[in-house]
Amino acid sequence: MLKYIIRRLLIMIPMLLLVSIVVFTLAQLMPGDPFGGEIDPTKLKPEQIEEKREQLGYNDPILVQYGRWLSNFVQGDFGKSISYKTDVSVLIKQRLDNTIFLTILALIITYAISFIMGLYSGKKPYTIGDYAINGFNYLALAIPSYVLAIAFIYIFAFNLQWFPSSGSVGMGVEEGTWEYWMSRLNHTLLPAIVLGAFSAASYTQFLRNDIIDNSRKDYVRTARAKGTSESNIYNKHILRNSLIPIVTLFGFDLAFMINGAVITETIFTYPGIGKLFLDSVGKQDYPLIMTLTMMFAVIVIIGNMLADILYSLVDPRVKVE
Amino acid sequence: MKTETSSQIDINMKNKTSHSPWAIARRKFMKNKVAMISFVILMIIITLALLAPIIATSDITKINVLEASQPPSADHWLGTDKGGRDVFTLVLHGGRTSLMVGFMCTVFIMLIGTTLGLLAGFYGGWLDTFIMRIVDFVLILPFYVFVIALNGILVKNSVVGGVWLLIIVISALSWGGATRMVRSKVLAEKENEYIMAAKSIGNSSFKIMFKHLLPNVISIVIVQATLLFAGMIVAEAGLTFLGFGVPQSEPSWGNMLSSARQSDILQNKVWMWIPPAVLISVTILCINFIGEGLKDAFNPKSSK
Repeated sequence: MLKYIIRRLLIMIPMLLLVSIVVFTLAQLMPGDPFGGEIDPTKLKPEQIEEKREQLGYNDPILVQYGRWLSNFVQGDFGKSISYKTDVSVLIKQRLDNTIFLTILALIITYAISFIMGLYSGKKPYTIGDYAINGFNYLALAIPSYVLAIAFIYIFAFNLQWFPSSGSVGMGVEEGTWEYWMSRLNHTLLPAIVLGAFSAASYTQFLRNDIIDNSRKDYVRTARAKGTSESNIYNKHILRNSLIPIVTLFGFDLAFMINGAVITETIFTYPGIGKLFLDSVGKQDYPLIMTLTMMFAVIVIIGNMLADILYSLVDPRVKVE
Repeated sequence: MKTETSSQIDINMKNKTSHSPWAIARRKFMKNKVAMISFVILMIIITLALLAPIIATSDITKINVLEASQPPSADHWLGTDKGGRDVFTLVLHGGRTSLMVGFMCTVFIMLIGTTLGLLAGFYGGWLDTFIMRIVDFVLILPFYVFVIALNGILVKNSVVGGVWLLIIVISALSWGGATRMVRSKVLAEKENEYIMAAKSIGNSSFKIMFKHLLPNVISIVIVQATLLFAGMIVAEAGLTFLGFGVPQSEPSWGNMLSSARQSDILQNKVWMWIPPAVLISVTILCINFIGEGLKDAFNPKSSK
């Protein structure tokens, strides 16, 4: 097992290198200096800019620049943002907190909803409740997240005024207090539901079909024959088997959430890294774009690896090569 | 006597199995009510979008301040937008762009995916390893992030502009899944005797791939393409909604939706964003149902 995990970790390295090359090439293709956060063309004369360029190493061969960027990146030095005039790492730290909070909330909602609905549908297939849940699933899978977000803001934020439509925390709330956390939760709930709806629907279907499949298997018949109560059969025997595929999907969720966060955070003007990324592209803030792109790719790679490892951990039938 | 019965059985068999797999699939699909209704609705939407220049002739290239932001009326069935353009006309022309981008992306992705999947699955060896490593790589790039970054760079310094650039960028980042799927199907299919027979009578590899393997994997390609079509429409409108897709001058569902990012329009002028929101959701719903219907129709195990 340990061997497998180590091998899986080692495969990550060439992938990460390849991604870094792509990101660096992209930055080179962009007009202007990709690392120009420290040069202010409005204040400096052309000669001074040239001097500064030389000093910062922009005139070095490409490979040297790549090596320098990579080694800085690995050491956590991401350069300076052009538009915000601060270190990229500081900017990201400010926002990362919000995105993590949003993602965790979205994951909790996803798993809670799919768990309850999937279990119900799987226990009582082809009943009215099952059909209603199925109908809900089809809708959730068909409505794009941005349409759902707009509709939610219109209904829940503007008309019913249950939730605020933007931001991550109310004005003038003191950090660390009970009100502060409630305000944060209140701000994050709506985007989290939007972010989780699609996965919730697909997991519900997944769980439902798996429970129905399992309930026809021999071990369930054996359990019934021995007189195990119906609720014990579902909650203990079947659920344990049906949860396996769902658990392993957790790794892929990370990747999915990143794509989703870019859209959802922007619509709700929620100050997380997804919105930061879009803003940085709009402002052509290359150091920020490069770091965030790289970061997102790293998270996806780690997520995929996690999915593989979880899969082999949870299901002993999966052969470890 | 014996020969007679066997020939009779032959005739009976022929009568029973005279339907081609395609005819069986078509009949199953036609019997599937949900899929058929979805198909009809989708066809209506596509026809309206294609005929947009004939049906909706209101001028949407000019801004007319006098008629700006009007609610629905007899003149303007769905009202007008901020620039005084007729929303009904916009939504039909927008559908044209959105469906076209989705369709072209699907065509490109399925062409690349099917070809590479066939090559990788059929030849195996180093070619397979090589192609699949690239697939692994393409699949780990977060889609929206890279499309936005790439489109942002290329839009500044490229020859092809606007919509076509978007189609190329989206396709270039989305062919991984299709390739992987076709390959796995080819791997299973090529173990069959008919492939060995085709090989042993000296068919060229090219002919085996495209005349013998392709027709047997085409059903999954069609199902996959249908679902991909839905995904690509969502992706296009999403990117455009964020301001990184179809240029603003071009009417598209994503562009119309993005007007709802202004809270005044979102709250008080719902006729500007509800039509594209409803149309895009209905389109995706229909395509998903059709995709499921097709999957069922092509599945020899399903009895319906």
